Amino acid sequence: MGRSLPQSMSSGSASGSFAALGWALPLLAASIAVIGVAALYSTAGGRFEPWAFRHAWRAALGLGLMLAIGLAPPKVWLRLAYPAYIAMLIMLVFVAVSGITQSGARRWLGVGDLSVQPAEMMKVALIAALARYYQWLPAERVSRPIWVLLPLVMIAAPAGLVLRQPDLGTALLIVAVGLAVMVFAGVRWPYFAVGAIGTASLGTVLWPHLKGYQRQRLLTFLDPDRDPLGAGYHITQSKIALGSGGLQGRGFLGGTQSQLNFLPEKHTDFIFTMFAEETGFVGAVTLLMLYALLITVLLAIAVRAGSTFARLLAGGVAALMALHVSVNVGMVMGLVPVVGVPLPLVSYGGTSLITTLAALGLVLSVAVHRTERMRRHEIGAMW
Amino acid sequence: MFGSGSDDQDSRRTFTRRALLLGAAQAGVFGALGARLYDLQIVNGNRYSLLADENRVSVELLAPQRGRILDRQGRVLASNAEDYRAVIVPANVRDLKGVLAEFSRIVPLGADDIEKVLQRTRRQAPGIAIVLATELTWERLAAINLAAPSLPGVRTEAAGRRQYFQGAALGHIVGYTGAIDRLAMDDAPVLRLPGMRVGKAGIERGLEDVLRGSAGKVTTEVDARGRVVRVIDRVEPRAGRDVSLTIDASMQTAVVEKLKDFRAASSVVIDVATGDILALASTPGFDPNVLVNGGDSSAWSALQKAPGDPLNSRALRGLYPPGSTFKMVTALAALGAGKVDLKEQLPCEGVYEYSGHSYRCWRRSGHGSCDLHRAIRESCDCYFYEAARRAGIEAIAATARKLGLGIAHNTGLAEAKSGLIPDRDWKRGRFGRGWFGGETVLAGIGQGYVLASPLQLALMTARIASGQALMPTAVQEPSQKAPAAPLGFEMVHLKAVRAGMEAAVNEDGGTAARAQGESGDYEMAGKTGTAQVSALSRDRVQADLPWNRRDHALFVCYAPMSAPRFAMATVVEHGGGGGAVAAPLSRTIMDLFMERSSVASERIMQARTTAHEPSAISLPEEDN
Repeated sequence: MGRSLPQSMSSGSASGSFAALGWALPLLAASIAVIGVAALYSTAGGRFEPWAFRHAWRAALGLGLMLAIGLAPPKVWLRLAYPAYIAMLIMLVFVAVSGITQSGARRWLGVGDLSVQPAEMMKVALIAALARYYQWLPAERVSRPIWVLLPLVMIAAPAGLVLRQPDLGTALLIVAVGLAVMVFAGVRWPYFAVGAIGTASLGTVLWPHLKGYQRQRLLTFLDPDRDPLGAGYHITQSKIALGSGGLQGRGFLGGTQSQLNFLPEKHTDFIFTMFAEETGFVGAVTLLMLYALLITVLLAIAVRAGSTFARLLAGGVAALMALHVSVNVGMVMGLVPVVGVPLPLVSYGGTSLITTLAALGLVLSVAVHRTERMRRHEIGAMW
Repeated sequence: MFGSGSDDQDSRRTFTRRALLLGAAQAGVFGALGARLYDLQIVNGNRYSLLADENRVSVELLAPQRGRILDRQGRVLASNAEDYRAVIVPANVRDLKGVLAEFSRIVPLGADDIEKVLQRTRRQAPGIAIVLATELTWERLAAINLAAPSLPGVRTEAAGRRQYFQGAALGHIVGYTGAIDRLAMDDAPVLRLPGMRVGKAGIERGLEDVLRGSAGKVTTEVDARGRVVRVIDRVEPRAGRDVSLTIDASMQTAVVEKLKDFRAASSVVIDVATGDILALASTPGFDPNVLVNGGDSSAWSALQKAPGDPLNSRALRGLYPPGSTFKMVTALAALGAGKVDLKEQLPCEGVYEYSGHSYRCWRRSGHGSCDLHRAIRESCDCYFYEAARRAGIEAIAATARKLGLGIAHNTGLAEAKSGLIPDRDWKRGRFGRGWFGGETVLAGIGQGYVLASPLQLALMTARIASGQALMPTAVQEPSQKAPAAPLGFEMVHLKAVRAGMEAAVNEDGGTAARAQGESGDYEMAGKTGTAQVSALSRDRVQADLPWNRRDHALFVCYAPMSAPRFAMATVVEHGGGGGAVAAPLSRTIMDLFMERSSVASERIMQARTTAHEPSAISLPEEDN
């Protein structure tokens, strides 16, 4: 069992390629974060203030954290999975009670000068907790109704709290990530089919009972053009900015649409637009390829992992990254409703950046400690 | 023991399969994203970055035309006048300061005006226009349009400016519009339009949703200089609906004219058959044109500070102790509870003793003893002290609410107040103390905590006259209203109370004899009320008191007596006595309506006999 990084790297030729995957992780993460710094530098009109500099040092901090997390074996993270989940749940309750309100939604929790978004961290905690659960659960029980219900409750609790903030987008993302882990765990397909049909019919039944303004909100969520100066305005401007990038882009610092302040949230959720306007189709596709590579590496690590916990942890993080990138990029191109989903490692925002790097650290831990075996009886009972 | 090898192998294989599936799905999604990117950046790239390189799509909202307000006869009370103004859309401007300087050469802008524009530009979405100048003359309008090439982002447009007719008499009813105070996140986007006005009072506020309409939207492609290259999409705004009132402007004006001699008074007339509000008059009033034209804030604050509070619609918002006009409520409550018989005589020695306190009748010498009929006719306080004590406050409160008191009615005007009908729960909630019997005794003659608005008193009278649960409304419904339901009082009780009100005006000894009128061509029924303002006023001659300590004079009535058509409540603030002041005033107002209706029916009769003259069927335009 490799206790440290170099040791495991040299543990035989069979795991040599696997070790390379381990190295690929921090390298890919660092490259994408550097792109983020450059994009934020340009967004501020060629200045390190107010975003690029902070993003850079946060990324450095996060990369260090990632390596540190990677050094410890998954067993450590297994023990911390439930406590972390419970802690995040409590923080979400705190947000609901005494959170900081920003543009109409309570999402932030202030600790001194620091303010964090517990919902972001919850995504990772939920993956770990579910992986922990399936590590404990005997395989033949995975698809028994009662054992399917339990993880659903674990997903619904944080999703409900986030929905109340109100943040429909993040709530849906939490549900999607949780369901992805359940898919990976081997819950039989009919459950998901029944769930999908059930949700659709519940929606049809509930629709007439919604209040007028609630319906309006949902409709605007699905079709931003209904509010031409609100959400629809953002998407129109975003599409124009993307389109004006053309094949090769307008060049670094040359994105007029973005520079002229047409883009809302250009440093957070809409940073991809900014990047694609300046670097064009070539740059945008390159960035997407980097993400695709990262997700492939994560899945490859997951497939080779030595225990259910490690497997689901890595698979869950892969799903999280895939969802974030798809939803964010789909959103700025007007394919997906506008929801507040950041582009991992590139969007400005401390909680999201550091949480993402920490999640990648967990997968690094899986990669480095591949040979670690875990038996259910070693863990004993649920706790 | 569970972690057997084959078990683990199984779940590992499942995982690998499903991970591959996710990988494939992800590849598919990334492929779709790439295709979309290709579509946006390569295929349509040129559309977005035309040769001009700076073209962009600009989305602007188009303001809807606000609905008009019409009176019962279709006369226009509020409409929109054309007003030409210049606006700038910051999204279409690169050098905002330069353009503003250029604009100042045509229409001078002060330094603080320019600062305001710059401030708004920083705060709001750049696609929303900012008003630069309003009420442009033709010369300036032409000059701006001529200079258009050097004024990118600037355009002129015709905007609706609200115009009110009929002046101060309709001010409280129609209300006025003004700028939005604060925008909430959920507000309709149309409210973010420049210079958008919303109703602030009266019908303008109460029916804002109907009058406002909804915004249109125009999507244009604009070049670097802010010139429109082409219109991509245009959705026309939907104008607000016109609203027709139940009030006839000429009648309303005539009623206000009658009130003019008093410093503060109000009168409400309700149609006994339908609940339609026919007049809703308060003095002093205000001319809404003063408030909307140019949005002059000094005019508003002047009105706000003016003596007599002219902005306040007393008919809706003035709350007064109803005094003796409340005695019908006490009577119906006591009769309904079976605590008093119709013919029962209750003693009056000029003073009523209850639980160690003395309550006086207005007639010091007392009435001897009264039955219900005489008690209403002569407004005997002692009778109603005893009736109230027997009925109890809960029965009185329930009856009052049944007659429309203590409730804020939705008449279409925004600001009606609910007044106050006290009961045990209310007192515990308000003061944390229990109810005292003495408070019931006082409530029985409409004093103590009881408060009602003139609208509520008129409604009470209309409900007594009709026996139906009429709903008061100032707006004509497009659809036929459902007939009002019976109130559920015993017909004998209602008839007895009405007979008392008829006697108060028409029999000897009635307190409302001065409402008999000089003409005597129709009879009415009524009840006086005198609401005490200061504790000592009963012992003093009213004229000797300073104005603001004199009693309020109230009168409620309906006519004609045999087949009621109009119900009315009149309040003269600090007017002295109800019988002396409010009753004769009410008679002159009722004369207006009776005369109008007899003229109308005469004309209809005429029209029937001369059927070839169909235009005569329409109601007369002006009678006064």
